[in-house]
Amino acid sequence: MQQSRARLFKEYKEVQREKVADPDIQLVCDDTNIFKWTALIKGPSETPYEGGVFQLAFAVPEPYPLQPPQVRFLTKIFHPNVHFKTGEICLDILKNAWSPAWTLQSVCRAIIALMAHPEPDSPLNCDSGNLLRSGDVRGFNSMARMYTRLAAMPKKG
Amino acid sequence: MISDSITNASATAAPSAKDFGKKKRTNRSAKLKQSKLGLRREQWLSQVAMANKGDKEEIDSNRKPRSENPDQRDRPVENLDGLSREAEDNSGTHHHESFIESLSNSPNSILSGMNSIPNFSSSSSSGSGGSCSGNITEEEDPDDDGCLDDWEAIADALAADDDKHEKENPPESCEEHASIKQSASPRASVSGSNVAIRDVKPAMSRKQKSNQAWRPDDKLRPQGLPNLEKQRSFPVMNLHYSSVAVPSSCPICYEDLDLTDSNFLPCPCGFRLCLFCHKTICDGDGRCPGCRKPYERNTIKVEASVQGCGLTIRLARSSSMFCRS
Repeated sequence: MQQSRARLFKEYKEVQREKVADPDIQLVCDDTNIFKWTALIKGPSETPYEGGVFQLAFAVPEPYPLQPPQVRFLTKIFHPNVHFKTGEICLDILKNAWSPAWTLQSVCRAIIALMAHPEPDSPLNCDSGNLLRSGDVRGFNSMARMYTRLAAMPKKG
Repeated sequence: MISDSITNASATAAPSAKDFGKKKRTNRSAKLKQSKLGLRREQWLSQVAMANKGDKEEIDSNRKPRSENPDQRDRPVENLDGLSREAEDNSGTHHHESFIESLSNSPNSILSGMNSIPNFSSSSSSGSGGSCSGNITEEEDPDDDGCLDDWEAIADALAADDDKHEKENPPESCEEHASIKQSASPRASVSGSNVAIRDVKPAMSRKQKSNQAWRPDDKLRPQGLPNLEKQRSFPVMNLHYSSVAVPSSCPICYEDLDLTDSNFLPCPCGFRLCLFCHKTICDGDGRCPGCRKPYERNTIKVEASVQGCGLTIRLARSSSMFCRS
């Protein structure tokens, strides 16, 4: 408990310091609970998510960093590894491949990388996965772009 | 006062002449003293002439003691006390001291006279404080001349190394030479050495920079990301990195690593963490946060006792594990 709190405080300081260094990630801690974080990440360029801003919710467990934080998308996103309704993310480093050396910031980076490189073989969004597995990249891209415009762009969302 | 003590030793001429000239001004005794003094002065002058045989290129401003000598020889008796007064004015400086010294040494052998001259030049130049002007050094003795030739040869070869420079040439001879030679080559050599130093520094910093992709304090460095293991798999690099890239804080709990922690290398991947976090992880799943491979407890003990041995063992094991997976 105490250890995870101390570590999260340190991470918070780190985030404040690094704010300028990584403009794609904006990590914000909850005002009252340091175990609740939200992040705003920009959709990577040259993907259908480009131009969108996606909100992530972090729930940090007590044994953190020995256990990974629970992360989910609050913004709707059409992605094979993100559950369309719950926003749950299927990412190995958030499951068995977690390492205590990762930080919330590095998790955000990993999620951005996952958005740029979807893994259709372990889909949470079967429709999206099937589009990619059948080779319909164009269909997938148009669907993802549409949802990005609908949900992740400030004006139209 | 220096002049008194010295003149008491051998040449009592000057003070006595002073007394006589002031009180009585009897020409006779003064003439006697003058003749004695003149005799000694001539002897001394001949010695100096022999000693300075080779030095024809001396600068006028250097000539102080010797330019006095002809005046002294031609001086009338009543000027003697003027001379002594002047001597008193100058007393306390090395200049006068060595002058009287050499005067008193004059009846002795030539060797002693010659010995007094290098002392003279060195002491006077050190007394006047070293700058590059020509009037620092008063005399050029034969020893310095030899050095000068040597120095010139070096300067001509444009291989003026600073160490060599200082070893072979006493500082005053360098300065003298600088003034004679319009100080072109020594400055060139000095600036050359500066350039060399400046060249060395960036090379060193470049060397340090090239050791690692990110510096430990680099903001962009993904701290504790598992991509370190690739670089650390080389034995030599491993040692090198372990000395350079020791993190200042534990990447798990972000607390500062103390000396024990920073010497603690529990995994062949080179991932470091504090002992506390290591124990917590070993109580749990027991996998290294850096490479996600299980910690091997035997290895840690071996590594703690004999580091070099442990290193090879760990490398062997990690490679075998790599083959299995």
